[in-house]
Amino acid sequence: MFANVTLSLFEGFGTTLQIFALTLLFALPLGLIISFGSMSKISPIKWLIKVFIWIIRGTPLMLQLIVIYYGPGLIGSAATSRVLAGSTNPIDLFLSNWECFDRFLAVMIAFVINYACYFSEIYRGGIESIAKGQYEAGQVLGLNKSQVFFKIVLPQVIKRIIPPMSNEIITLVKDTSLARIIMVYEIIWNAQKFIKSDGLLWPLFYTAVFYLAFCGLLTILFGYIEKKFNYYKG
Amino acid sequence: MSVISAKNIVKSFGKLEVIKDVSMELEEGEVVAIIGPSGSGKSTFLRSLINLETIDNGTITIDGQTVVENGLYKKPEENRQAYQKLGMVFQNFNLFPHKSVLENIILSPILVNGKTRENAVKDAEDLLEQVGLSDKINSYPYQLSGGQQQRVAIARALAMNPKVMLFDEPTSALDPELTGEILKVIRDLAAKDMTMIIVTHEIEFAKNVADRIIFMADGYIVEEGTASVVVDNPQNERTQNFLKGFKR
Repeated sequence: MFANVTLSLFEGFGTTLQIFALTLLFALPLGLIISFGSMSKISPIKWLIKVFIWIIRGTPLMLQLIVIYYGPGLIGSAATSRVLAGSTNPIDLFLSNWECFDRFLAVMIAFVINYACYFSEIYRGGIESIAKGQYEAGQVLGLNKSQVFFKIVLPQVIKRIIPPMSNEIITLVKDTSLARIIMVYEIIWNAQKFIKSDGLLWPLFYTAVFYLAFCGLLTILFGYIEKKFNYYKG
Repeated sequence: MSVISAKNIVKSFGKLEVIKDVSMELEEGEVVAIIGPSGSGKSTFLRSLINLETIDNGTITIDGQTVVENGLYKKPEENRQAYQKLGMVFQNFNLFPHKSVLENIILSPILVNGKTRENAVKDAEDLLEQVGLSDKINSYPYQLSGGQQQRVAIARALAMNPKVMLFDEPTSALDPELTGEILKVIRDLAAKDMTMIIVTHEIEFAKNVADRIIFMADGYIVEEGTASVVVDNPQNERTQNFLKGFKR
């Protein structure tokens, strides 16, 4: 039984890692773009982004998962019934084609948007903490704006945001368990299965070992990265 | 022909008019010191020359190229070349903390001037010798004293081969015992006929190194002339009162 459970948990943990890795892959760069939006000098863009970040950070990720998974299908079926009742409105015709996303795709969309918003606020804090004099020194040395950002500002921002980013990324590891709410078979789902099928609760507790091992690994990794940046201060 | 010409410069921050009407000409090889009380507009004026502040009105010509005429700026890409003829040293050094002394100096010559790394390093070594910091080439800014950091900042500005060096209160953030080393470097530059504008509170130094001293107050040039006239024999009452504070 133990071997059986372990195998099943490993399988579930594979999905967990997939959600984790893909979320990072897309949310890290998307967060940077959102942070530029939230610092934009064009105020409609800035406020639109700020409201968006407020909505995403102000509602539970679990709710966002459900909305993204079921939302398009609900809109689609409402439009379909209007079309069946004789509506020829082109919007109804268009919306009637909408259906639910693939479960895994829905998870990815929700996680990437959610984490990109959190990351964007960390980036913004880091970027705004760089002294104006750094930009000025770059400018008078003839660097253009993108050279100033990528050669001078960003490397310093990275050092400053490593601690809050590690925190957020470790939270992400555990947030992946929310995916089971729309039946994506990650590790918690696979463990819960054994409650129904065999009346066993311990596989659920056993998942903690997987989370702890992985988060431990990440902690060591971030400690190492932090040390790498210790070659300078400021 | 003057290397920098500024005519009728006007600049406000919101409702506060910092520079009301300032004109000056800088000849090649000339060293000009700008003195005056805090809030007189002297730093803002200097920063306007190198495009760190945008002026509201006036005309600035750098080495024959007019970058702004009656308050209207030319396109940034047209002005780039003109601004690169100016080097700037800040009160707070503004070294890049994540880069070593060498990397601070060679970054821009490689990135902007397209120098090879080898040439840029050679020039950096010469400049560091000139400012007396050859042994700090691989140090990081946090490992240096304020005076050493400022000397690196001067070397970094010189690495771009500017025609004119602008100094914005280069010793104001330093402990008194460290100002001497900066003043010596500036004096050496003057001896090599570097054209310079120095905004400073070091009246004695200004008197020694500058060909001409400008006294600014309340957004105007109140008095200007040779050191012996402005400092030793000021005609204007404001200048007299300001300088009284420095007599010990």
